[in-house]
Amino acid sequence: MKKLYFTFILLLTGTLSLCAQNLTQLEGSFKTGPAIILIATLVTFVLVGIFFRAKDPSDYYAAGRSISKVGSGMAIASNWMSAASVLGMAGMMYGFGYNGLAYVVGWTGGYVLLLILMAAQIRKYGKYTAPDFIGDRYYSRDLRIVSAIFTILISFAYCVGQFGGIGLMFKWILGLNYTWAVIIGSSVVLLYTLISGMIGATKNMQIQYVIIVVSFLLPVFILAFKFDYFWLVPQIGYGAAVTDIVHGISAPNLSDGAALLNAYGHNFSIVPSPEFAMPWDPSTGTTFFQWMAICFSLMVGTAGLPHVIQRFYVVPKVTDARWSVVWGLFFICLVYWTAPAYATFGRLLSSNPEVGVLAKDAIVVYTAQLGGVNSLVVGLLAAGAISAAFSTVAGLLVAGASAFSHDLYVKVINPKATPKRQLAIARLGTVLMGVLVTIVALMKLGLIAQLVSVAFSMAACTIFPLFLLGIWWSGSNRAGAKAGLFAGSLVTVISLTYFIVGLSGGSLPGQAFISYWLNVWYFAWIGAPLAILVNIVVSKFTAPTPLEIKKFLAEQVQN
Amino acid sequence: MASNDQYNFSIFSPRNLHGRKNRNVIFTMLVIWAVAVFGFQTLLRAIEKPTPEKNLILFESEWPFIAGSGERQADYRAILNSLLMVKGKNTVSVPDQQLLSSAISCVTFGMVPDTGRPAVQEKVAALEIMHADIASLKGQQYLDLKFRAQEASAILIGILEPFTGYKAASLEAPILSASLKNDYPASLTDHSFSRLPDVMRLYLTHNQSVLTDTKFLGFPFHYFYTAVFLLVLFIVLCIVYNRLIEWRLKKEGIVE
Repeated sequence: MKKLYFTFILLLTGTLSLCAQNLTQLEGSFKTGPAIILIATLVTFVLVGIFFRAKDPSDYYAAGRSISKVGSGMAIASNWMSAASVLGMAGMMYGFGYNGLAYVVGWTGGYVLLLILMAAQIRKYGKYTAPDFIGDRYYSRDLRIVSAIFTILISFAYCVGQFGGIGLMFKWILGLNYTWAVIIGSSVVLLYTLISGMIGATKNMQIQYVIIVVSFLLPVFILAFKFDYFWLVPQIGYGAAVTDIVHGISAPNLSDGAALLNAYGHNFSIVPSPEFAMPWDPSTGTTFFQWMAICFSLMVGTAGLPHVIQRFYVVPKVTDARWSVVWGLFFICLVYWTAPAYATFGRLLSSNPEVGVLAKDAIVVYTAQLGGVNSLVVGLLAAGAISAAFSTVAGLLVAGASAFSHDLYVKVINPKATPKRQLAIARLGTVLMGVLVTIVALMKLGLIAQLVSVAFSMAACTIFPLFLLGIWWSGSNRAGAKAGLFAGSLVTVISLTYFIVGLSGGSLPGQAFISYWLNVWYFAWIGAPLAILVNIVVSKFTAPTPLEIKKFLAEQVQN
Repeated sequence: MASNDQYNFSIFSPRNLHGRKNRNVIFTMLVIWAVAVFGFQTLLRAIEKPTPEKNLILFESEWPFIAGSGERQADYRAILNSLLMVKGKNTVSVPDQQLLSSAISCVTFGMVPDTGRPAVQEKVAALEIMHADIASLKGQQYLDLKFRAQEASAILIGILEPFTGYKAASLEAPILSASLKNDYPASLTDHSFSRLPDVMRLYLTHNQSVLTDTKFLGFPFHYFYTAVFLLVLFIVLCIVYNRLIEWRLKKEGIVE
């Protein structure tokens, strides 16, 4: 048996080594090695999903509360690190320079808010889902329904970017066009989520995290070593490359010895490009206000995302909820410290005009390719990016399906539903959402990071104020919550309407003004504070919160 | 019987000493967090100054002389170099790229004597065809054409070297060969180039200050602060918060 296993490994290694030779283009051809790695990764996920599959609704929603704090931290990181983190962030920095760092800071800084304002309190409150909490805290069936709908919409918006990322990577590996790549990728991720549910997903998320972090970090070490930067800690070593981009690198004098070359034989040289690193550079079309608004919206949105908040229900103890945030943030930062390095090396390696215009969202794999990194390592990187999208999509679809079956179907439509029926409805919700997301993802509405930031702004304007005030102010009542949610929703609707009209080539009154100040990527900068303010004002002038709610909050949540 | 006010609380006015201490920790953390993130960016904004690249200074010193009727002729090599330095950036919009390509072609062909111009035009036309074809090719065909284009580009740069001064291996060579086209206005004084100075200003002026010019561990300081340090700070803030909370819970004998 051992011999057989050894022979199989040898054959697989040999095949993969042969496959490593066939990479000639950045795009357009079928890549055998990366395809084998991708298939192997997906098979592993599905097997783990089957092995740890959900057996009842409690398992499906909250993984039976059996996950340790480090494990939960890994799951948080894996669930969090989506295509937007692995692909989109580097793409933003590659295309928009310093402005892209607003995403790095926004998506990590939000965890500080999440920890000090939410994590332990949510666990203490002891509900399964965000609509559960909102419906219970604000003693309102209507609010439960509306927040369930928002949970579905937020998960939906978030998924659109992920499906786009999955499509891009499938396109890169399979050499298909974008449409087929998205359809195939979406079908696989949907199948996987249906098989596994959240407990499978939670176990898988830990495996996925390891794959993501190894596949994402390895090429950067190789690139830093190859191009003579401090490779032992490339997350610091790329700093010199940033400075090189700012000042420019002249073409080497060939008489001095062998020149550093990219995979196409172009010199490792670049014209002085301070716009890559200088803040809100005019040539990138970005402003100081946009940097601040994006950063703020992402931070507040982080603390309001249902699928992130939901992770705190799966830890056994309150203290675990707090430490799982720290672990999660640490695991996330390992990748976030590295993403700018890809943008930096990508900028250097693609500076020759012969490379042509590169898709920003795929710059991570292009960078590794242009740097001459072995194609199997590049394939692993692409598989890691797909893993990142898969793990997030699984969490999002489960959160969306939970809202659909648990908060809408069981609590509103059919309270006597059997556990089996609940699970069937959850799965039906997953399929419906997956199909709709695929259709929207095919429209290519924006860059991955931008598409995902819509979900963050939406969460920041709707869910975040309800949680913040619900936990920290006993005076926030049903009427205030409804008014606040209405205000947040109104800002969301205005921003989305102007965005859609703008996309279709139309124009509404004040189109340019709204498109800048209430842009769909960062409208929460005003929407979230407005929703909080309206909630407070209306609560002050309406019937107070019932005594039992206040008592529960004071005794169970605040202590 | 419990009154409705007995259980009133807010983050600003907690119900007991434990809550007040908790509030103080939370507010301290929030202030550090906000100042570190938004305070620093505001400082960066407050002290920045629009700073031109040396190529812009060079360009603007030569641009007034392009009409050739003033005290001296413009230094076209300096202008060409400035144009190439902008064209090589990846943030240039498509319309601006087209304008720059026209300007680069205009200046380059202007340097070549009439007798040598047909040979250059022939090479440029061949390169344009290759660049158009390459997008539809795959595998070995793609590589073959790519290398043929590189060779053709090197020959073109070799022909132009006596006039432009750029060698085939120079930084400017690939940008020049990718920019040249046979369809261009006759002179830089053409009205289509009227917005060229603004385009050059847009791409060659940057917001800089002592925070962007100082180096730290190889990074421009502001970049290190935002991309590396802030993330470390967030983790440290979270650890400190957890330690503080746990220490206080233990001290006060509270079991969660």
